[in-house]
Amino acid sequence: MSAGALTFIEAGSTQVTDLGRRRGPRYGVPVNGALDQRSARIANILVGNSDVEPLLELTALDVEFVPDVDILLAVTGADGHLTVDGVGRPSNQPVSVRAGETVALRDLQGGLRAYVAVRGSFDVPRLLGSCAPDSVLGFGGRVAAGQAIAVRRSTPVIFNQHFAAELYCLDVPRLPTGFVIDVTDGPDIADFAGTAGRLFDQPYLVTPTSNHIGLRMTGPLPERTAGGEVLSRGVPVGAVEVPPGDELLVLHRGRGVTAGYPVLAVVTPGSLDLLAQVRPGQRVRFRRMSTSGAAARARADRVELEALRLRVQSVFSALDALSTATTGRTLS
Amino acid sequence: MTNPRVVISPSGTSALRVASALPDREAGWRLVHHLARFLDASRVPGVACVIPTYDAVLVEIDPIDVSLDGLRDYLAQAAEQIDVDRPLSQRPREFDVPVLYDLAGELDLRDVADAQGLSVDEVVRLHSEPAYVVRCLGAPGGSPMLDGPPFPRPVPRLASPRPHVPQGVVSVAGRQATITPAAAPGGWPLIGRTPLTVLDLGAEPFVPYEPGDVIRFRPIEADEYASLLGTRMEAR
Repeated sequence: MSAGALTFIEAGSTQVTDLGRRRGPRYGVPVNGALDQRSARIANILVGNSDVEPLLELTALDVEFVPDVDILLAVTGADGHLTVDGVGRPSNQPVSVRAGETVALRDLQGGLRAYVAVRGSFDVPRLLGSCAPDSVLGFGGRVAAGQAIAVRRSTPVIFNQHFAAELYCLDVPRLPTGFVIDVTDGPDIADFAGTAGRLFDQPYLVTPTSNHIGLRMTGPLPERTAGGEVLSRGVPVGAVEVPPGDELLVLHRGRGVTAGYPVLAVVTPGSLDLLAQVRPGQRVRFRRMSTSGAAARARADRVELEALRLRVQSVFSALDALSTATTGRTLS
Repeated sequence: MTNPRVVISPSGTSALRVASALPDREAGWRLVHHLARFLDASRVPGVACVIPTYDAVLVEIDPIDVSLDGLRDYLAQAAEQIDVDRPLSQRPREFDVPVLYDLAGELDLRDVADAQGLSVDEVVRLHSEPAYVVRCLGAPGGSPMLDGPPFPRPVPRLASPRPHVPQGVVSVAGRQATITPAAAPGGWPLIGRTPLTVLDLGAEPFVPYEPGDVIRFRPIEADEYASLLGTRMEAR
């Protein structure tokens, strides 16, 4: 049952997505989903949703929408200028919006993708359990101007009547700055013999043909020295490949699940989030890491998110008690 | 322990590649698919997804829930337990796939024939004679990955991949062959097209065949292509 809807005045390049179609790769279908998984999780955590709930992913372009019910939203990812009826509001914090107010997110910078989660999330079609668009299957797609997206519940406005200041300030872990991309050795690194180290020699320039399937980069290319036909095999998200031509290919979440190119290296989960924020024309530098080090980093990152989840829960409980006492409103 | 059946290598922080080390290719293929089905059925904590192919299975994990080392030992043991002689299916389903071969020269059939030193008719005959076993589901959209026709040599991939390959095309590359269920970019030479609709987003999986099933290609003329266009691909 939906409680209301967001109607888009300006849709930019926006999709409704989630953490991805995890059962897809079993059937030859890419996982897809939010390219910056960490920012997507944080957005949902900030509004008290489960991490896997559908949310908006904006790529580069501005967006403007109006809810017809009161909602609580949070914006994460690339820095942008968030306004509600023209008044600036913070990113990386839960923000209340009244029915009929205009929400705008403009001027994304310092990154390519921003995420907007709404408490209660959206009612959207799913395929294999996920709403993530799949351009190959022709499922889902970009939001169009004028389109309305069903919101599952309304959230009464939390507002500080006595101070203009925010009621809370949740300390959201930030992404590292600078585009240093950690990779672990790929299963086929031996195919590149002594040339594999070129990956770490100089920065690579990200080219405009990059998208959710993969990023293409120019720079010193390692060379495959082993010959012979390669049978198609499952390739992991983050695989660094050297296809014919003059560009390095780094596969992201829209990657075809099988391919016949040897895998030189694999980008770590945290650095995949970072790659989602790299714009064409920017340069990245690769850094080698052990798989145990990368796994430890992934666990530490998740621990930070769990700590954030606990802070959000305590803020919500405190506000709930407060608002019940003074206004009779509840944040249920 | 004697020679292990599998070679397990990390594929990044979130996946292990388990490749068959068995000398028999067929047994290796059965091994990786039985292992994938076992992992699916037993819902191993931390295993997110499995992608079995010809001679390997990619096991995707959530590194928060399980360590690569811990899972590696488990997979090595699980691989030793599998009966590699057991067929993937007791009764493989058979699919007839009508193909309008590219005799009009719109696709790459002529180039494929030239590279093999064969006539176009010979390529069509070699491609439409065998019964192909579906080896695995691949990209894009669950393509049936097949062993290629008995051509004299591997088929070279296109020098520059096509940005858009329509659904329903029949293609070959290296020692492999396939049908494309969904439009996508692709670097495989195209030798014909089937009028059948392969993909059904209302079904799970989205394609009607599974590894172990059998596909046969049948040459058709343009009028039959037109009359069959849009028919769903179904087992015989």
